[in-house]
Amino acid sequence: MSRVTFDSLRWRDPPARATVTVDGGPPRVRLQMTTPREVAAMCVGRPVEELPRILSILSPAHHLCAAKALDRLFGIDPPPAAKNTREALRLALVFRHHLRKFHFLASSVESPFAEFWPEGARRGPHGLRPLLEDVMRHVSLAQEAAAILGGRADHPVTAVAGGVTRALKQEHHVRLAEIAVACRTFAERLGAYLRDRIFSLGEILGDVREIDAGPVSSLALAPDADSVVLRDGRGAEVERFASAALFDKVGLAQESWSHVPFAVLEAKGSQGQGAAPAEGLFFVGPLARLNGGEPLATPLAESERKRLVEALGPFPRFEVVAGYWALLIELLSAAEGLVALCEVEKLTGPALRTIPKAPGREGHAAIESPQGLIYQHFRADERGVVEEVRVLDTATANNALFGIVAQRAVETSLAREQGWDETKKRMELALLAY
Amino acid sequence: MSEFEPKIVAFLCNWCTYVAADAAGVSRFVQKPNVRVIRVNCSGMVDPSYIVKAFVSGADGVLVGGCWPGDCHYVAGNIKAMRRAPLLKKLLRELGVEELRFRLKWIAASEPSQFAKTVNEMTEEIRKLGPFKRKKKSAKRSAA
Amino acid sequence: MNRGDRQKKKLAVYTATGCRACEQGILDLNYEVNELGRFADPVFWPYVLGTPWEALPGDVDVALFAGAIRTAADREAALSLREKSQLLVAVGACAAFGGLPGLANLADSAAPAEAAPTMDAPDDGKPAVPALEPEAMCLSQVVPVDYFVPGCPPTQNLLWAAVLALVCRGESPSRLSYAAARLPEPIAEAIASGVLPPRGTIFAGEKAVCGSCSRVKEEKKFGTCKRPYEAYQETGRCLLEQGLVCQGVATQEGCGGLCTGVGVPCRGCFGKAPAIFDPGAKMVAAISSTFDSAKAEEIAGLVDGFVDLAGTLYRYSVPAQCSLLAAPAATPDQGCDRCRG
Repeated sequence: MSRVTFDSLRWRDPPARATVTVDGGPPRVRLQMTTPREVAAMCVGRPVEELPRILSILSPAHHLCAAKALDRLFGIDPPPAAKNTREALRLALVFRHHLRKFHFLASSVESPFAEFWPEGARRGPHGLRPLLEDVMRHVSLAQEAAAILGGRADHPVTAVAGGVTRALKQEHHVRLAEIAVACRTFAERLGAYLRDRIFSLGEILGDVREIDAGPVSSLALAPDADSVVLRDGRGAEVERFASAALFDKVGLAQESWSHVPFAVLEAKGSQGQGAAPAEGLFFVGPLARLNGGEPLATPLAESERKRLVEALGPFPRFEVVAGYWALLIELLSAAEGLVALCEVEKLTGPALRTIPKAPGREGHAAIESPQGLIYQHFRADERGVVEEVRVLDTATANNALFGIVAQRAVETSLAREQGWDETKKRMELALLAY
Repeated sequence: MSEFEPKIVAFLCNWCTYVAADAAGVSRFVQKPNVRVIRVNCSGMVDPSYIVKAFVSGADGVLVGGCWPGDCHYVAGNIKAMRRAPLLKKLLRELGVEELRFRLKWIAASEPSQFAKTVNEMTEEIRKLGPFKRKKKSAKRSAA
Repeated sequence: MNRGDRQKKKLAVYTATGCRACEQGILDLNYEVNELGRFADPVFWPYVLGTPWEALPGDVDVALFAGAIRTAADREAALSLREKSQLLVAVGACAAFGGLPGLANLADSAAPAEAAPTMDAPDDGKPAVPALEPEAMCLSQVVPVDYFVPGCPPTQNLLWAAVLALVCRGESPSRLSYAAARLPEPIAEAIASGVLPPRGTIFAGEKAVCGSCSRVKEEKKFGTCKRPYEAYQETGRCLLEQGLVCQGVATQEGCGGLCTGVGVPCRGCFGKAPAIFDPGAKMVAAISSTFDSAKAEEIAGLVDGFVDLAGTLYRYSVPAQCSLLAAPAATPDQGCDRCRG
């Protein structure tokens, strides 16, 4: 039996490593999440209103999800300006997250730290240096927007029970509107480049673009923002349920070789993670959100979605290039959403926070984070101290999918008789798409 | 095998409790020898950090002695001590320091017997609790 | 290619247990401030470059280490990077004091393990996952640490100050204004002159967050104890004076009063302010000084309204700065106790 470990996979959050075991037959790949998330240990015993700030360690979107769950726990409805502010923050985070992935994709062939000299500058074979800078400039803009709306982009603070705490000033409104338009323009420009150089020609992705993770069921938030839709591997809706029932439908299976559990559909049970898609598995994320094949509300995103369908075929799709394309579609829809929301009337109001009377005992919420659907459920005692907290984060929800992708990356690499270095790169590029 | 002898640090205010302690000694009240006295001008100058530091430095118990409310030489210094004590006790409890290890007591200069009584009671209470050891992890979450 | 004879510093960047915000902040410096590649050669950066452990060279100049020490792998990483680096910098609240993962040390030790029981037998040819250490620790509780950049996450200007002082050593052409961060003199001098600041320096301000906070402080007292979901003025008046628990008074400045500036109380992510022995004790003094009562029962009623003092007052610093919880057995760091009591 021989074993190879890729101990430092690029771009993984939380950190992960892959072990490939070859024991005579086909390789067995395990993607291990190497750090624990310990949500209960951090949260139980804390005042419930602190959860938005604590859970932001999982990802910034968890801050928003916790605030929404607190609205429910306190039985209050935030004022419209607060809801818009939170949604604008969510869109800024989506934009930033997806754009960072494109930075990672582009920097996979050209080091982001290559020193710039005009004569003999290391521009690489693809001229990606200006693209990298352009991409990161807009990551920075999206981050600035998130900081205006959330106090900070990472570990935001302004979303609280009943609304938000920050009233925006005139200069913030002006800046947000500027940033939204700049991001939308950039997303179109980036789209042209991606379609021309990456999705079609596959210069960076090569044949990694064809690695296919499916068919797998998809889980996504319904447009009413409180129901969850489950679709099967053919994209057909199998079930629609209230988010409150999520942990009835989704169970967590713990394996000894990963600190993050695997989410499975209770109805189907877990058949373990393997090369063949198991019926009990599902995934979340941009592709999962698009796999219903429904048209999108904003024009640029919808045109892009149609271009994807024209180039690759109808939804549902599961291959790597579709994953990257889905990121682009969502970049456009997030930017368009931001342009629509970042208007003074939408983000201001007489009140930004509804004050509750007293804490209730239970709250839950689901939102679409950049990486996929997330869900939180907590119970508090009569003093508003957390007694129980359960979170479905995307690391858990997509743990199985990542395993499948890693497995297929290794299989296709070995089939092409590539070395382990190449195999690692393929795996990283493939995983990044989801 | 010797019995556990608690180390109690006592912050005594100069104008009341210290005088009482002095008088208790002069009057030959029988007192346990477990108290180390630190004379302060007022119970209100005992910052919670001193109390925490005492425990961290090896004390098994801490006593803060002050004048009765209304009798403070600096008018309301002892009220400051009174305001701090319950909140500090709550924090100490959450971190595994038992209730009886920290005491704020009003003792007038004319009450040396009270001082002796307090010293003796505290010594025995803490003897029963055993030496103070810092917990590795907090034993109890905030219950109240 | 080198610029003249100046050698580029070998840089290592790593996160143990936490999140990726610190590393993304360091990456952002490359684009938002100045190209790291001009003066640093990132020789080990798993998150961005995929460098495997066996490629870690033995002569790293500066290692930027984020994340708390929670697993055996985190500990090994700390030991390895300490051994191979001239300067080891704890970046972010997790590495500096334990951070949010440190809250695990307050969890009920009798509680069941975080995860459900595993489905499989651990030793049938499956790879092992790094074992959990008995408690969460900060970096300096495992290896000696040279410098600290606190914050959750650290602010860009302080991260850049650290890179300027420790990596560029006075040779970067780009400067940021530090008026907002109120940097102490030793750091400012180090940035200008290229001389390293004293070992153990924390890249943060000199005083407490109140120094940077723009809220209005008055003298009046309140007879209330408020939870943040209750009504209060999000702008204007000092939050502590309004009856909220705001830890700015016990927290080192450097963030510019970020949280209080947007209407939420400070939770201490920069660690305790200099000259404070224990931040929890300091907060007890500060909070109780706002109680507007001289009656024991009223005070008792006020105190009753506070919940989870330990988890709030040591939110980011349980492992390093909660003096009433025992430090881990082996603390090899002799020279660097500015971050601890």
